[in-house]
Amino acid sequence: MTAVVNLPEPTGSTPPHQTAGGADPAVPKPHGPASPLRVLSRGASTIWSNKKARIGVVLLLAFVALAIFAPLIAPYGASENGFGRNQSPSGSHWFGTTAAGEDVLSQVIFGARISVLVGFIAGFLSTLIAVVVGLSWGYIRGPLAEIINFIVNLVLVIPGLPLMIVIAAYLQNGGMTMIIFVVVLTGWAYGARVLRSQTQSIRGRDFITAAQFAGDGATRIVFHEILPNMTSLITGSFFGAATSAILAESGLSFLGIGDTTTVSWGSMLFWASNSNALLTGQWVLLFAPGLCIALIATSLTLINFGVDGLSNPRLREGTGR
Amino acid sequence: MSLLEANNLSVIYEPRGAEPTYAVKNASFSLERGEFVGLVGESGSGKSTLGFAVTRLAKAPARISQGTILFDGRDIASMDEEELRKQRQGGFAMVLQSGMNALNPVRSIRKHFGDIFAAHDHVPKSKRLARAYELVEKVELPRDVLDRFPGELSGGMRQRVSIALALSLEPQLMVFDEPTTALDVLVQHAVMGTIRELQKSENFTALLISHDLGVVLESTSRVMVMSEGVIVEDGTSEQILHDPQHEYTQMLLGHYADPRAEVVEVPGLLVRGSTISLTGHDTVLGVVSPADGDPVTAAPSAPATPVRRRAGRPDAAAIVVDDVSKVYPRPRRGSDPVTAVDHVSFTLEPGQSMALVGASGSGKSTLAKLITGVERPTSGTIHFGEARVDRLRRTGLRDLRREVQMVFQDPYSALNPLHTVEYALMRPVLNYTDLRGAAARTRVLELLDTVGLTPVEQFAAKLPHQLSGGQRQRVVIARALACDPQVIIADEPVSMLDVSLRAGVLALLDGLRVTFGVSMLYITHDLLSARLVTDQIMVLNQGRVVESGQTAQVLRFPQDPYTMQLLEAIPQPQRAGAGR
Amino acid sequence: MWYPLRKLGLLLLTAWAAITLNFLLPRLMPGTPADAAIAKLAQNGPVDPATRAAIEAQLGVPTGDTWSQYVQYLGNVAHLDFGVSYTFFPQSVSSLVMNALPWTLVMVGLVTIVAFILGTLLGVLAAWKRGTWLDTLPTLGGTFTSAFPYFWTALLLVFFLGYTLKWFPTSGAYGLESTPNLSLAFIGDAIGHAWLPALTILVTSVGGWILGMRNNMINTLGDDYVTFAEANGLRTRTVAVKYAARNAILPNLTGFGLALGGVVGGSLLVEQVFNYPGVGYLLFNAVTNQDFPLMQALFLMITISILLANFLVDILYGLLDPRTRR
Repeated sequence: MTAVVNLPEPTGSTPPHQTAGGADPAVPKPHGPASPLRVLSRGASTIWSNKKARIGVVLLLAFVALAIFAPLIAPYGASENGFGRNQSPSGSHWFGTTAAGEDVLSQVIFGARISVLVGFIAGFLSTLIAVVVGLSWGYIRGPLAEIINFIVNLVLVIPGLPLMIVIAAYLQNGGMTMIIFVVVLTGWAYGARVLRSQTQSIRGRDFITAAQFAGDGATRIVFHEILPNMTSLITGSFFGAATSAILAESGLSFLGIGDTTTVSWGSMLFWASNSNALLTGQWVLLFAPGLCIALIATSLTLINFGVDGLSNPRLREGTGR
Repeated sequence: MSLLEANNLSVIYEPRGAEPTYAVKNASFSLERGEFVGLVGESGSGKSTLGFAVTRLAKAPARISQGTILFDGRDIASMDEEELRKQRQGGFAMVLQSGMNALNPVRSIRKHFGDIFAAHDHVPKSKRLARAYELVEKVELPRDVLDRFPGELSGGMRQRVSIALALSLEPQLMVFDEPTTALDVLVQHAVMGTIRELQKSENFTALLISHDLGVVLESTSRVMVMSEGVIVEDGTSEQILHDPQHEYTQMLLGHYADPRAEVVEVPGLLVRGSTISLTGHDTVLGVVSPADGDPVTAAPSAPATPVRRRAGRPDAAAIVVDDVSKVYPRPRRGSDPVTAVDHVSFTLEPGQSMALVGASGSGKSTLAKLITGVERPTSGTIHFGEARVDRLRRTGLRDLRREVQMVFQDPYSALNPLHTVEYALMRPVLNYTDLRGAAARTRVLELLDTVGLTPVEQFAAKLPHQLSGGQRQRVVIARALACDPQVIIADEPVSMLDVSLRAGVLALLDGLRVTFGVSMLYITHDLLSARLVTDQIMVLNQGRVVESGQTAQVLRFPQDPYTMQLLEAIPQPQRAGAGR
Repeated sequence: MWYPLRKLGLLLLTAWAAITLNFLLPRLMPGTPADAAIAKLAQNGPVDPATRAAIEAQLGVPTGDTWSQYVQYLGNVAHLDFGVSYTFFPQSVSSLVMNALPWTLVMVGLVTIVAFILGTLLGVLAAWKRGTWLDTLPTLGGTFTSAFPYFWTALLLVFFLGYTLKWFPTSGAYGLESTPNLSLAFIGDAIGHAWLPALTILVTSVGGWILGMRNNMINTLGDDYVTFAEANGLRTRTVAVKYAARNAILPNLTGFGLALGGVVGGSLLVEQVFNYPGVGYLLFNAVTNQDFPLMQALFLMITISILLANFLVDILYGLLDPRTRR
């Protein structure tokens, strides 16, 4: 990401009581040297100024730290299973042990690695496809655009999780790579649609025609004129795609699809459910992994509250109407 | 007792994460019953904010920070919401600038009326339909408009509906916020006419907020002039016109002129029109330093002799448009195909300056797209020198654009908000010339100097949001000149700018055209600017050329009724107080 | 073109594409699912040539003539003939699907509609009372609950409301002793069993609708027609409901169509936790037993159901937005 910028929208972004012809000088404008760094920091401070987004950033950073330093933080190894089975929380095992005799707390900590990894990789790849498809789809005209439209709508309405389950069943035990593959395969379409409509609206603006008159080619226009104006939307797509990827991975792992020996929050719940942790009353084993999934997904959604405010000033925090 | 009395009213603007500013400072004024008052100012003067404040529609981040608003003797500045809501019937109503979007797209016009009657219960149920019919007829709309949805109406019709809805409140005070700004010239004229008549027949007090002193002087008996949040002048229309006290008012007035006059002068530009003689070119007598508010020097500091063209560049060529038509497929089922351009022929000679005028929908912008190869004509041919513009493919178009450049209407949209001025100017230099590195940068700075944006180093580093509208338009002009083109197509280059900035940009454009020997196709609905910067004129109506010839000749002695209509629609401050 | 007709055309085209995708999927995958399937079926007794051909048409063999298989497959789909399940041999796939589908359609369908309406109302309220606790509570609560994995919500509800408090039955769609019929007693029993899965879907999906509607409503509240309605002194309720919310619901409906797939996917996981005999539970059984014919038919039926639901949403949209009538 090079810059996060608040693109003045053609409609709506300005208060109603303004005359035609642009910004109200009564509103102070930021001044100072123009640099990508400054633009980036302005975007970051807009996100940070949103209370909800600030909570999200802190939460996400905590999980990333947990994932990176898992071996340092966790009291035991993730698959170390020499402990008593189905133990309740105790001084040496704060969250108790699993039916296979593993330390629950250590598994929860190591589980962060899978979620963070899947979220970032699948989110990144989905967004990459969404950007490529969305931008070219928004820029071209004619029958090809109609065909892309049909394909994207098809991918959008086909239910993602059942499709993932079916593909995973055909592929047989592909492990985490397979899960990322199916998550990306079904996860790019929404972002592509959002980016396409923004591309279309930007492409209608005069500076695009001006770039054509200045002799720039289509590729340069897409990447130098249109793309930088969509950073906030792309950021939003990324966090959105990462959220659904994390939730999808946990769902698939919970069903036992993929590699059930990988320690992830979803597979912990798969084993917990299979070993009837409900009946043995090990509520921490049920509670902790799910709460972690919910919290990391919440943190991404919260950050998106701030990102929404970048591209739509009406959604910035405020009171009243 | 006055109907409305504002005392020491201030409105503060408190956006999140930015310093609060005062949009209106200590405004005091009164409106007498039955009076038609104008409120004039340029963008950002606070006039609309003031209008929203006195009707208590100001929303966050704007807030009335002090002062009282006595309406009919009661202070409405501190009135609670429900009491205020009731006041709106028989009290004060507002017609918004964007009449286009002021109607609920999913509700029929009939229901819009129904909602107002239901909210105030001031018309008995049995008489509501009749009253709605009466109201739409007052704004000169057919009765069946009640069964329509907003999306099915034209912009002018929607604004008339808004006026009828506001009227249904039977208000004592009507505030019109730029009621015709978004509309086409001829429609603007008609809607203003309706507003004037209604004000007389219904005898409400009216406050007309506008950036256009001409429109305001034509309609109102008293005018308040606002600048930077302060009411700087308040006087009768005659006083304002003939004896303006404040220098800001004087400056605004200086930018009005009648394009039909023999001598037309605005700050920076002066043209004299020969009478009926057909001997030719109007002379630009002098390019005076423009008072356009921008810290720039206007006179192009380019060499007095036309720049020498580099080797390998084609000789100056004419654009020849021959019997060109453009038909768009029918926009929806049941309607007819749209003929945007209808058998148009003309030649733009090298060095010539030609105006293409008409109301919106006259086909003038379509013609510009055809000439620049953005779209292809349905029939007919367009030549630029040897090249057939209507058949050009990618590389051909690139070659064409090296010679034919464009200046856009909206300076706020013509520059990418993320790129510096230097980047914007560097692109055509790199794409069309052999200059690289330091030489290219020198060329960019030279261009900035040419359009008067000095100190050039500072301007090169700026982002568009750090520039005023006039400065942005200068950058757009510099970009068009970067590849040393032969032809410039200027599409309404000053219509989005404040009146006071227009003359400076026009003077620059005209001066550069003469200096560099560039020909110009000037597209506009504004006949005054056409008179100032062109020698030849073509008047378009529904895709057809209805009249053409020398600009001074056509405008001074129009032959076609449509040209006369366009001339008639120009607001004339001189008509101030007419009929009163 | 007439709006509903255009949407119908799109529905048919999309359905065809989904059916074709279903045909192509096993063929695009590495390995030969058809051989595996025939081998599995052979465990139940000899496989006759007609069954073999049907399976090959459904799942593909490398040597086969793909085009004629496609034609045969389309014919089979038209007759809802998906062959024989080998997990539940000798029951036909279509009878299994038809037994499972109503449970999912009724339970998931009803609760989704309830969740959408509830979420939309809360979203309207949140935007209208922006900045107050009526905004903060549903917004933050909705953000959190919509991040819950469906199966986790299900597990929690089973644990607390089922095992611990014993308020609701935790497994199946009806008591073990009863058989499906239309008596009041049975329906009461079924509703009792549907409570927990329904509550799970409600809790997990309502947040998305709240957030979506709140955003749309904040946008419409800034629109000029709302300002003009206020300038005309319309009743606060009229402005909120007939002007702001009425327009905000249109994009929310589009969002509803798009999010439906996610909700249905989530409810499949919920069925798994509750052993609820719907398509999700059946699909999971098919996957664990590599019962490809059953799996394929279930996926197709789920997709077609969602396409139909989307079509209905489109028609509703057409009724609500006069701009589509042009």
